[in-house]
Amino acid sequence: MILHTLNTGTDTAAFRDCLNLATANDAILLMGDGVYTALDGTTASASLQATGAEIFILASDARAAGILSRVPTFACLVDFEGFVSLTVRFDRQLAWY
Amino acid sequence: MASARKKRQLIIVRHSPYGNSLARAALDAALAAAAFDQPVELLFMGNGVLQLLSAQDSSAIESRNIFKLIGSLPLYGIETLHVDADAMVRYAIELSELPVGAKPLDSSAMRQLITEHDHVLGF
Repeated sequence: MILHTLNTGTDTAAFRDCLNLATANDAILLMGDGVYTALDGTTASASLQATGAEIFILASDARAAGILSRVPTFACLVDFEGFVSLTVRFDRQLAWY
Repeated sequence: MASARKKRQLIIVRHSPYGNSLARAALDAALAAAAFDQPVELLFMGNGVLQLLSAQDSSAIESRNIFKLIGSLPLYGIETLHVDADAMVRYAIELSELPVGAKPLDSSAMRQLITEHDHVLGF
């Protein structure tokens, strides 16, 4: 069980490699430019959902990007406390950048 | 006092050798772990497979030769180099061109490799 964190957008090796390794037992936390991978109705967000992992989005970064109304239903917004809770819940963490 | 089992580390390298300092940082981390007798393995994923091209000559760019550094890993007990098989195909790199310890893995084998380690570091 790994918490993946992704801070880059869709056309990056980091996103591709993260999708490759994330499994249904994991969670992916999107932050920074990573929030753009979850835009509702896109191939990228479909790929995220297809990993089976729980998808979380850092609310402050989604708000900055102006995409709060485009967050898909399978993704969950979290604040920094939620971020910390995720790091406690998962025994390993892997940063994609 | 009971002795704890050593934590097994997996270092995932995803960047090509000379565009930034991540390749060097990853090898330093691997060698440090090995020097302190901690179990560590390497996975060359995505653009990281480019670190395994053998004809590297970094003399003109004032950088340590990453391929040569990789060549010293067996001296520290790191003999297996896990390699992203899809990335090999993307970059048209044959297994025969890679160092002797190279072991190609498909995506599902890479996911499996992660579950076998306690700690994962990405470079």
